[in-house]
Amino acid sequence: MLQPGVEWLGSTGLGQWLGQSTDRIAWLFVIHLVGLTLLMGPTLVLAIRLLGVGFRSRQLAELTRDTALFRTGGLVLMILSGSLIFTGGAVSYFEGMWFRRKMTLLIVALLFNFTFFRKVTNAEEGRYSPLVSRLVGVLTLFLWFSVAVAGRAIAFS
Amino acid sequence: MSLFEMCQAIEQSTISSIVRESAFPYVEGAHVLALSLSIGTVMWFDLRLLGATMRTRSVVEVFEDVKPWMFAGFVVMFSTGALLFAAHATKAYSNNFFRAKLALLILAGVNAAVYHFTIDRNRSAWGKSPFPPAAARLAGLVSLLLWFSVIAVGRLVAYSL
Repeated sequence: MLQPGVEWLGSTGLGQWLGQSTDRIAWLFVIHLVGLTLLMGPTLVLAIRLLGVGFRSRQLAELTRDTALFRTGGLVLMILSGSLIFTGGAVSYFEGMWFRRKMTLLIVALLFNFTFFRKVTNAEEGRYSPLVSRLVGVLTLFLWFSVAVAGRAIAFS
Repeated sequence: MSLFEMCQAIEQSTISSIVRESAFPYVEGAHVLALSLSIGTVMWFDLRLLGATMRTRSVVEVFEDVKPWMFAGFVVMFSTGALLFAAHATKAYSNNFFRAKLALLILAGVNAAVYHFTIDRNRSAWGKSPFPPAAARLAGLVSLLLWFSVIAVGRLVAYSL
């Protein structure tokens, strides 16, 4: 279903230009990793707070506000650089098993992020039980790290 | 023994061949994921020094919050990094990005030491202020730039080995 679109994307001028040079792709990976640090660092801080094992002197909603800009910025950098990396090798990425797993996990992680995670991290203290907070913390870590592991696996498969 | 001969000896060790032949993807994966724990947490302290975030909290409070996670992150980074180096020690030795990465790491260490032994000494005078003095902000900015440069050259090492 998506195949013709992927083939078209790989054949565009931009796709050809990106695919020609390992240097261009290498710099896109640099941006991808900077985005990862900006997104995952603060997400990890919030997960640690949700699990109740650190940053306990801070209100959760306050930490969420403090980190929002960096999480959003990191996610935008990751999606932009990731889309360009994909454009530079669209057909071969699209056929890869780990790429497909990564995209599936990414969709699940994003859905979780903008529903449960957002609701619980913005709630005032005591609104949700520690059990719910811990569950959301564990799922946050599990989902985002699964996306990252699948991403790393693309390079080695 | 020259540095290069040391690298050759490291590369002939058992641990080096284990990483090179089987463990490399897992060690590298851990190295990349621990970015969130190491640089992803140290940046909060740097941003606080810059007066860019968490302004209602004192510098000490932010540091105390971040400290255990930051140290755990850097322990993972340095141990997995050492294993990755051991796997391809001689190639890393002659790689310019790898040399730049070591230089940047040393500079980050020097910056942290200078901050700790000078500006941090009279922290009681400014630690609660939302915008720390220029020297402290400079230390935070330099740290952020150095750590993000370490990420950049680190990624480029992987591309040029």
